[in-house]
Amino acid sequence: MSGPTDRAPARMLLHLIHRTTFVYGGDARDSFNEVRLRPCDDENQACRQFSLRVSPESAVRDYTDFHGNTVHFFDVPEGHARLVIEAESEVETVPDASRAAPAPVGFDALAASPEREMQAEFLADSRYVPFAPEIWREVQDVLSGGRGDVWGDAVRLGRHIHSTFKYRPKTTGVTTTATDALKLRAGVCQDFAHVMLGMCRCAGLPARYVSGYFLNVDRLPGEVEASHAWVEVFVPGQGWLGFDPTHNRSSDERYIKVGVGRDYADISPVSGTYRGAPTLSLDVDVKVSQLNSLTAVPG
Amino acid sequence: MQTTPKAPAAQRSGPMLSRVAHSLYWMSLYIERAENVARLLDVNLQFLLDFQGLSESLPQEHWGSILASSGGAELFAELHGEPDSQNVPEFLAFDQRNPNSILSCVLSARENARMIRDQISSEMWEVINELYLFLRARNAAEVWRAGPYEFFQQVKRYSHQFQGLADSTYPRSEGWDFIQFGKLIERADKTTRILDVKYHILLPTATDVGGAVDTAQWHAVLRSASALDAYRRYYVHEILPWKVADFLIFSDTFPRSLCYCVGRLDGYLHRILGDSPARPRAPAAVAAHDLLADLKSRDIEYVLQMGLHEFLIEVQKSLDRIGDEVVQTTMFFPADPEPEEHQHQQTQQQQQ
Amino acid sequence: MSLFTTRYERASFFDEMFGASGEFRPHYRRLAERLDTLSEGEFNQRRAAVDLAFLRRGVTFTVYDNTEGTERIFPFDLLPRIIPAREWTRIEAGLIQRLTALNLFLHDIYHEQKILKDKVVPAAQVFSAKHFRREFMNFSVPRDVYVHICGSDLIRDHDGNYMVLEDNLRCPSGASYMIENRAAMRRAFPNLFESYRVRPVEGYAETLLKSLLHIAPAGCDHPNVVVLTPGVCNSAYFEHTFLARQMGVPIVEGRDLVVRNSCVYMRTIGGLVPVHVIYRRIDDDFLDPTVFRPDSVLGVPGLVGAYRSGNVSLANSIGTGVADDKVIYAYVPKMIRYYLDEDPILPNVKTYLASEPADRKFILENIGKLVVKSANEAGGYGMLIGPASTEAEIADFRAKVAAQPRNFIAQDPIQLSRAPTWCDGSLEGRHIDLRPYILHGEKITVTPGGLTRVALRRGSLVVNSSQGGGSKDTWVLQGDD
Repeated sequence: MSGPTDRAPARMLLHLIHRTTFVYGGDARDSFNEVRLRPCDDENQACRQFSLRVSPESAVRDYTDFHGNTVHFFDVPEGHARLVIEAESEVETVPDASRAAPAPVGFDALAASPEREMQAEFLADSRYVPFAPEIWREVQDVLSGGRGDVWGDAVRLGRHIHSTFKYRPKTTGVTTTATDALKLRAGVCQDFAHVMLGMCRCAGLPARYVSGYFLNVDRLPGEVEASHAWVEVFVPGQGWLGFDPTHNRSSDERYIKVGVGRDYADISPVSGTYRGAPTLSLDVDVKVSQLNSLTAVPG
Repeated sequence: MQTTPKAPAAQRSGPMLSRVAHSLYWMSLYIERAENVARLLDVNLQFLLDFQGLSESLPQEHWGSILASSGGAELFAELHGEPDSQNVPEFLAFDQRNPNSILSCVLSARENARMIRDQISSEMWEVINELYLFLRARNAAEVWRAGPYEFFQQVKRYSHQFQGLADSTYPRSEGWDFIQFGKLIERADKTTRILDVKYHILLPTATDVGGAVDTAQWHAVLRSASALDAYRRYYVHEILPWKVADFLIFSDTFPRSLCYCVGRLDGYLHRILGDSPARPRAPAAVAAHDLLADLKSRDIEYVLQMGLHEFLIEVQKSLDRIGDEVVQTTMFFPADPEPEEHQHQQTQQQQQ
Repeated sequence: MSLFTTRYERASFFDEMFGASGEFRPHYRRLAERLDTLSEGEFNQRRAAVDLAFLRRGVTFTVYDNTEGTERIFPFDLLPRIIPAREWTRIEAGLIQRLTALNLFLHDIYHEQKILKDKVVPAAQVFSAKHFRREFMNFSVPRDVYVHICGSDLIRDHDGNYMVLEDNLRCPSGASYMIENRAAMRRAFPNLFESYRVRPVEGYAETLLKSLLHIAPAGCDHPNVVVLTPGVCNSAYFEHTFLARQMGVPIVEGRDLVVRNSCVYMRTIGGLVPVHVIYRRIDDDFLDPTVFRPDSVLGVPGLVGAYRSGNVSLANSIGTGVADDKVIYAYVPKMIRYYLDEDPILPNVKTYLASEPADRKFILENIGKLVVKSANEAGGYGMLIGPASTEAEIADFRAKVAAQPRNFIAQDPIQLSRAPTWCDGSLEGRHIDLRPYILHGEKITVTPGGLTRVALRRGSLVVNSSQGGGSKDTWVLQGDD
């Protein structure tokens, strides 16, 4: 949508609700939990409002973890048969038109970049993305035409996954690793992201897991509204750039980023322990909608 | 010789950990229970040796009543069927499926002792360990062959040794209160069951009452409570049922009588629970107080009128209640030492 | 000399008692004279008495080969290891310097990470360290002390120079044996103590307690300190209860503690009692199932949350294991220079890092002549002593190193020093090391002495209790003889 040249492009204001409901077969007590649900602030988005509601009510504290994600933690000591965690936020994203297109950066720039040592985190094995010869071999095939620039190669890997994998809910689970998913060549966004991480890392491209949501105007068949996962790749001189292998596109203004890590284990949206009856059901309800887009201030 | 410096005054070991109190209580209770079962078996085996020729059904009746009064009748029936002089003693002494067999009790006592090794003296631990090894080394067949009498004596000896060591090596702190409380509550309960044995034996016919068998059975009841000599000193003449019941319920000097046990138990309970603003008149204290008042104010006429069996069942219920209450209030754990099940919140895939 | 009837083999090793020409070192002379007056029978009597005392007092550790643990006495050798004051002064200064640097390092990598940005230590090594706790970034620990109790193992090379073999910063054990060994020696040789002036170790528990009280959360008048143990099944359980008793504090297991409102409490018969400082002998991984390993039943759910809220203090702090890593060990001399601008007083053993290409090549080519160690194993496990290994063992290790270079280091075999030890009726030299105990409270103190561990098997270099090691009492003298 082009407007007068003296006006900056309109930002998107997105509204997000993420509700998690645990129902126990009896009483649960001494429940200690950590949640990573607060959208972050970075060069592409700003979290304008955030609230976390827990039922039964409890005092919620927070800290910032190693990767810069906000982690909220709380406990529910008394017996309860259900636990509801609801996170609501308003996030403003920078419009696509304002985002610079990635400039090509050669692979050698990685080793020469000042952030060279920090990249090690995102080139090493992690719990969900172990090093595996199968992944390495597939990367050689995909990039057999020769190496290009950092971002270009990452995108090639992402597109390859998109075209050769099937999006299929219920074939994998929360514990599925990148190598498992590779065998099945199917899964959900979590798996697509893990496989892309494996491939990027084998190709020497530092890559990290991103947890978040996106505004979904076109749904894939069978796609549920849930939390989403994609990948960011480090491009020297430009920082971390996002690519979504499930939808075959760069992350854009519709995407809300919550947190980053080496893989799912680092940014699990809700995790915890308790004593008592086993869990009967876990329901996750996510709604992302667009509030009126802001009109920009001139000048 | 240099001594180790004392801890700074700022810190002493505060109130006892619930888990430790729990273990002391159960360790003491299980040893007492093991001893009582040994005594019960010993006495009744001898009784039957003397009298079994008398009637075909006597052993079965007698063992049946022992099982009924000790609460193991149902389980026994599931596992064995008809009781006799072979399978009942085996069930009560060695069967690990029976949670109240001598072996099971000693295993539990030892497990609890092991968890609080550093709280009890090494001599106390060694005695329990030796009793355990002794039981492990024997098996039922060997015991009956060798003569069960010696076996039961040995169990009793270990128990007495344990109690003696506790008495001489355990500091008179809160831990001591729990040890005594466990022992006394078990002892009181056992006395009611020993008395109750006669109830479950088919009512004797008119000609049986006062007869040799009847008298011998009451004899056995007294000896099961180690009360025969004390009784004779008190009552000098004959062994009459109502006198035996009176003695075992109301004597306030005989250490195994109900009145005596509940009196001392009440004392320890007060020390354990304390009457503080935080814990005014805890339910357990009230229950113990009421039970003791009952025992002090009633007499044997009342009991016989109510029915001996009914009275004893009521007492057992009170004791159960007191025990449960104490565990709930002080120990914050269920009676079963297994920790409550630990769960993880399920995590969900990022699916979109 | 009645006890030295068989000729003592000094060989080419540095010997604690005998100098190069076979003469007694000055600080051992009195001991030698005393031993001279004892017949073998008398000596054996004292040995037996000491062993019996250990058994009775339950000074044991547990070895698990099947589900039933057997309790063993940690074998004790009656001949003490003696260190003159001038040697100790240097050791003490070196250890204090080392712990100071390590503490600064830990603070740095969990905050600004300057040492990584200045490329003194490669970031990759830290991030890939098994015990680097990302959950603890930017966390302020009480009084900025990360390591409250440290055991740095020292050895002597064939010239008698002391060097640091490794640092143990998570749950170093053995202090209880140090105290018990001293008590045993007093019983066995009361007069000898009078003739030497041996610096006492009995103050350890008091100093430990002071260090723990030092880190209590602010605003607490009467802090409650507890020792947190994994329980009876842990091999060092004796030590946990021993130290708790010496300090006069309760010993608890995870299930005795409960967290409410980010505060930690003990379950007692009188209700919930607040806990302010925990001396925890449970590894980070098992400490809190909410944050670390979810399958741990040893820990306390919510403990980390309470720690984060500043309502409870832990010793040692979470995350110290990164400096325990043998790869990070190799950088300690650089840390000393970087943070303190000083040269290390106590040197490291020269270490080759398999993660560095040049070193890796060297290791793989010379593995048969090197000592190769896993970065994160303890107790002498995960180690290959090249010159003493079979072809098969060497090949196995070579493969492991090639596959996971980050996890291995290698060192030239050191000719560990030896000390005379009573072995089956005669005095023979056995290899030893030294673990002093360093406590960090308001200031850093090193307990004079520590645990001298002995490799009891002839020719063996492995001193750990679980693999046939024993111990000696360590005497640090007030003077030089």
